[in-house]
Amino acid sequence: MRRQRAVRLLRRLLGSAVSILLLVTLVFFLAHLTPGGPAFSILGQKATPGSVAALNARLGLSAPLLVQYGIWWGHLLQGNLGYSYLLNRPVGALLWNYEINTLVFYTIAICLSTGLAILLGLAQGVWHGRWPARVIGAFQLVFYATPPFFTAAILVLCFGVWLHWLPASGIGNPRLAHPGVGTYAAHLVLPVVTVMLLTVPMLSRYFGEAVHEELAKDYVRTARAKGVGFAGILFTHVLRNALRPLVTMLGLSFPYIFTGGVLVESVFNYPGLGWLLWRSALGRDYPVLIAIVLLIGLLTVLGNLLADVVNGLLDPRADYE
Amino acid sequence: MTPVLEMRDVTVTLPRGGRDVAVLEHFNLTIAAGEMLALVGESGSGKSVAALSILRLLPAGARITGEILLGGEVVTEARLRQLRGGVAGMVFQDPLAALNPTRTVGSQIGEAWRVHKGGSRAAAWAKAVALLAEVGIPEAAARAKNFPHQFSGGMRQRVMIAMALACEPKLLIADEPTTGLDPVIARQILGLIARLRREMNLAVLFVTHDLSVVAEQADAVHVLYAGRSVEWGRAADFFAQPRHPYGEALRGAVAWLGQGRLANIPGQLPEPEARPPGCRFAPRCAYVQAACEKAYPPPVEAGTIVACLYPLRDVPRAAAVVVESVAKTFAPLLEVRNLSVRYGKAVVVADVSLRIGQGECLGVVGESGSGKSTLGRAILQMLPYAGEVVLQGQALTARHRARRQIQVVFQDPRESLNPGLRIGEVIAEPLRLAGVARGAALAQAEALLGDVGLSAALMDLYPGGVSGGQAQRVAIARALAGGPALLVLDEPTSALDVSTQALLLNLLRELARKRGLSCLLISHDLAVVSFLADRIAVLREGRIIEAGATAALLAGPREDYTRQLIEAAPRLQL
Repeated sequence: MRRQRAVRLLRRLLGSAVSILLLVTLVFFLAHLTPGGPAFSILGQKATPGSVAALNARLGLSAPLLVQYGIWWGHLLQGNLGYSYLLNRPVGALLWNYEINTLVFYTIAICLSTGLAILLGLAQGVWHGRWPARVIGAFQLVFYATPPFFTAAILVLCFGVWLHWLPASGIGNPRLAHPGVGTYAAHLVLPVVTVMLLTVPMLSRYFGEAVHEELAKDYVRTARAKGVGFAGILFTHVLRNALRPLVTMLGLSFPYIFTGGVLVESVFNYPGLGWLLWRSALGRDYPVLIAIVLLIGLLTVLGNLLADVVNGLLDPRADYE
Repeated sequence: MTPVLEMRDVTVTLPRGGRDVAVLEHFNLTIAAGEMLALVGESGSGKSVAALSILRLLPAGARITGEILLGGEVVTEARLRQLRGGVAGMVFQDPLAALNPTRTVGSQIGEAWRVHKGGSRAAAWAKAVALLAEVGIPEAAARAKNFPHQFSGGMRQRVMIAMALACEPKLLIADEPTTGLDPVIARQILGLIARLRREMNLAVLFVTHDLSVVAEQADAVHVLYAGRSVEWGRAADFFAQPRHPYGEALRGAVAWLGQGRLANIPGQLPEPEARPPGCRFAPRCAYVQAACEKAYPPPVEAGTIVACLYPLRDVPRAAAVVVESVAKTFAPLLEVRNLSVRYGKAVVVADVSLRIGQGECLGVVGESGSGKSTLGRAILQMLPYAGEVVLQGQALTARHRARRQIQVVFQDPRESLNPGLRIGEVIAEPLRLAGVARGAALAQAEALLGDVGLSAALMDLYPGGVSGGQAQRVAIARALAGGPALLVLDEPTSALDVSTQALLLNLLRELARKRGLSCLLISHDLAVVSFLADRIAVLREGRIIEAGATAALLAGPREDYTRQLIEAAPRLQL
């Protein structure tokens, strides 16, 4: 039993490794094959064919693509992710710097979203088909269909530009050396709300549907027949069974906690990994770009795995399958 | 003494297609302490609605009028939580669905205790372990930590019973508790309920579609038809002579062991929207008179109490049919040699050899997990196996065209007919595969529909538009279409109601006689098998442990296990 489980886990990890390998390879070649290159971004207006060629040679970009690809793997196996062309820093350290910002931002956003989604979903499941559930459902549909850049723009306009309640961009007052936690928190409000407006409708809809389905199951009728009250049915019986689809969804969104939404971070000029991904894609900063893609791949696998483990704890019938 | 349960003039409506439709009308019932009442009816009769209405466990939108008293106390919304589990406990049909999959059985039983009696979790756990031991679960202390999926079907139902009885209620409401269980296991559950009833002086409301289940133990019987009571009274009186034509038909339709003939009940249960104004059974009744169709007949006393204008009088019983003991001989048709099937490492069918003759029906009985369905599928070439299947002197393989010579009818007709094809097309498909032109194939399909007793009007319907019994007859017509040499019938009647089952079994017997059909009948129900089969093979853990001519096997089983199966089979003792 235990050994079977280990074998299955191993097989799955191997499969995931192959997917990540393919992903990284694909991105590597696609990035290098698109026109333009880091030399233009670095040299800007002053670029001449001669200076571009010289810079390319210095960056190792004049070698054949396959050789570059081989060198990249050679470095990776030594734990070296390369050196950013644009920001002049080792990729590993760079990623770590931006990572912390993203981690704080998305951990807060996902935790708040999950909490709110559970409350809304419970309400929706319990009142299924009646007006409270319909109102919630209408809001879910509207916000789920609204693209985050639009939501972000509206929020910035209302609370940043007109009302001046909240800062609209960045993470701190650049004029202060140590802006403090309060300033940082104020800068986080709008990005977090933007992410929540996107994730809460999605999570709560799945969860609400699950609650509704579980409430109709035979074991709920059994619990009622035992004399268990409504709160007992909801929290000791239904909640745990209904959480499984939510956990799966959270597992899928796990990579976002680390890489951040490219859109949200760039709209708010929030210096996280999503923003870095966007910048390095525009500036053809290949080492950074590929490192982030690799990270996303690893986190996707890890997220799925974590979701399965949690679901295995929630449901004794589930194995790592 | 106040009765434990009293239901007075109870009417229940359920929302159906935007309207409230009465599914149970003017229902009266009384059960005394220690008494077991069997509430009997086919699906759609309202029997489960009646059971669920007592503790108000009906789906949202249900409306109950009339009076329900538990232990002399009127059931009200305010007292409901105390009454549920406290005065009346409930056991449901499908224990796997009825138990929470994510909590240990110990905690679920303990919960039933704590809800009413309070106390610590540890005390509740100890109580749960004691209850598990009480209902006959070995190593109760260890098993309490297991989850529902780690138990067998029978054990799960024991867990349900332990849970229902945790707070020593006065009434046990059991809604089809043995349906879906193997006969031997079902008998054990019945035995358990009987013992607890004695020990606790428990009143039992036993809801079932199958009279045979309760024939031995019920004190009283109450028969429902299309939402109305048709007959009720002492069980002994009822089984001796039902007074309502429906009661009589129901008793006759059950496949009792050694039954020579099954009673057909023609027609179908009316939908709640289209119920006849008078006696609801009138359209299907063999004794119907003009007065029957005017109004619901007032109940009269005639042995049992019966809602019929013309209650049946004692019918002289026909002398027992002497079963012909001459063993028939058959020309060889199918031979299975040393067939084994493995799933992974588990051997599901082990070294089975059998023969079926031309025109012979071989019954294979065994409980779930015995490998009987797997054996059928291997013979159909639907899964890999070791050994040989020889049909008419020809060894079959999965790629062999001759495999079309063996056709199959599965348990659930709704699942096994393509919902997107019209019934005519379903039946014509095997013929089309054999190269018959479309028009000719459809004409033959229509003839086949007639052979299985269905009207040609069904040709253009989809399988979703017909009843379960009709769908199963369509499945039989489809299986017959190619003119197969052998029919594999895999539990062909176990998803059907009693009267539909009777209809189908009679049809199969008639087809077998008329067409000289050979078949392999797979079932867990020995009574069904003995009704059709010339010979019976008993399968246990993948091996044939005993085989022989039907009458001989029933009269003198060699193996203990066969004896248990025969004892578990329904029997009408008069």
